Amino acid sequence: MKQSAVDAVIRGLKRAGVSIVCYLPDSLFKELYPALDADPDIRTIRVTNEGEGAAICGGVFLSGKRAALVMENSGLRASVEPLARMGLGAGIPVVMLMSYRGELGENNWWAIPHGITMEPVLNALRVPYRIVTEEAKIERAIVDAYSWSYASYYHSAVALGGEVVR
Amino acid sequence: MKRFDCMKALAARLKDELVILSLGGSVDEWYNAAPHMREASLFQQQLGCVTPQAFGLAAGLPHRRVVSLDTDGGLLFNLGILATLGNEQPKNLFIVVWDNECYQSIGGPPTHTALGRVDLAAIARGAGVENAHTARTVEEFDAHCARGLALDAPYLVVAKVSGTVQPDIKRKHSDGREDKYIFVRHVEASEGIVIMGPSEHN
Repeated sequence: MKQSAVDAVIRGLKRAGVSIVCYLPDSLFKELYPALDADPDIRTIRVTNEGEGAAICGGVFLSGKRAALVMENSGLRASVEPLARMGLGAGIPVVMLMSYRGELGENNWWAIPHGITMEPVLNALRVPYRIVTEEAKIERAIVDAYSWSYASYYHSAVALGGEVVR
Repeated sequence: MKRFDCMKALAARLKDELVILSLGGSVDEWYNAAPHMREASLFQQQLGCVTPQAFGLAAGLPHRRVVSLDTDGGLLFNLGILATLGNEQPKNLFIVVWDNECYQSIGGPPTHTALGRVDLAAIARGAGVENAHTARTVEEFDAHCARGLALDAPYLVVAKVSGTVQPDIKRKHSDGREDKYIFVRHVEASEGIVIMGPSEHN
């Protein structure tokens, strides 16, 4: 990611009121994680899998603070069980920011499953999402995801792909 | 040792704390053992989420003591949270693991703790949660509650309890959505904050 895209993500998170970020690092967002760690207004929590991160974010919601789950889109699959339980069972929302691995242009065979499954899994969970491939649209997408999740009390997602992450 | 007796001992020590719990029979038992904590308790029905959610709540409200009532099956579902707690060292999180060595809510097939080889407290210590202990009597359990609720460090107690549910207790009728609203409104009122606010009308 370019520094300007990293800055746009952090601007969006701050405009949305986020103060805690749970993440499991990946390669496409590799410049984002140290920037989040270094930001004095954001507490980062590193997790062992994204489902654990989703559950921590759900707990943060209950505290009145705002959290984000930042991950590769493969993490969505690891998060399905807690997302279904919290979102559909209790109305506890999690906002996710994920890198779009496996989209057209992908040159790693191991990442192909991530691209093939991301949108069907989001649709199976009835999670609305926006795929952002232009830097100028990052900040607005993040703010919109929080507006929607704090009106619906359900999960939403922003996937960053294309030239934003490559 | 009966879980219900442990719950009554813990409940007697709680006032301003927030509780997140799961699963099955322990939900109705806590509903009966701690009626004064009803609004301060979030009742869940899920494996693997309870302690992570309690940690998230504790991270968001660092001045407030948070209690996680987890289970052997629930903690085994996501042992990674112990490593996260080991790194993060939340000062305000007290974790109870009701270890009845079975999946009681589905009739009692054994969990991995049933053979006696798997020691959840030892796993927690190995993951960096130094204050992690096993209690086999109500007196031991109560002493851990006294220490854990006062300590400025994460504290975990594995309560070795029988696989029975307290008979003749009231069932809790609310679902997860209603329980969330009750809990959130309690957090809002006790913290003086707004979590689920009014619509914008724009």
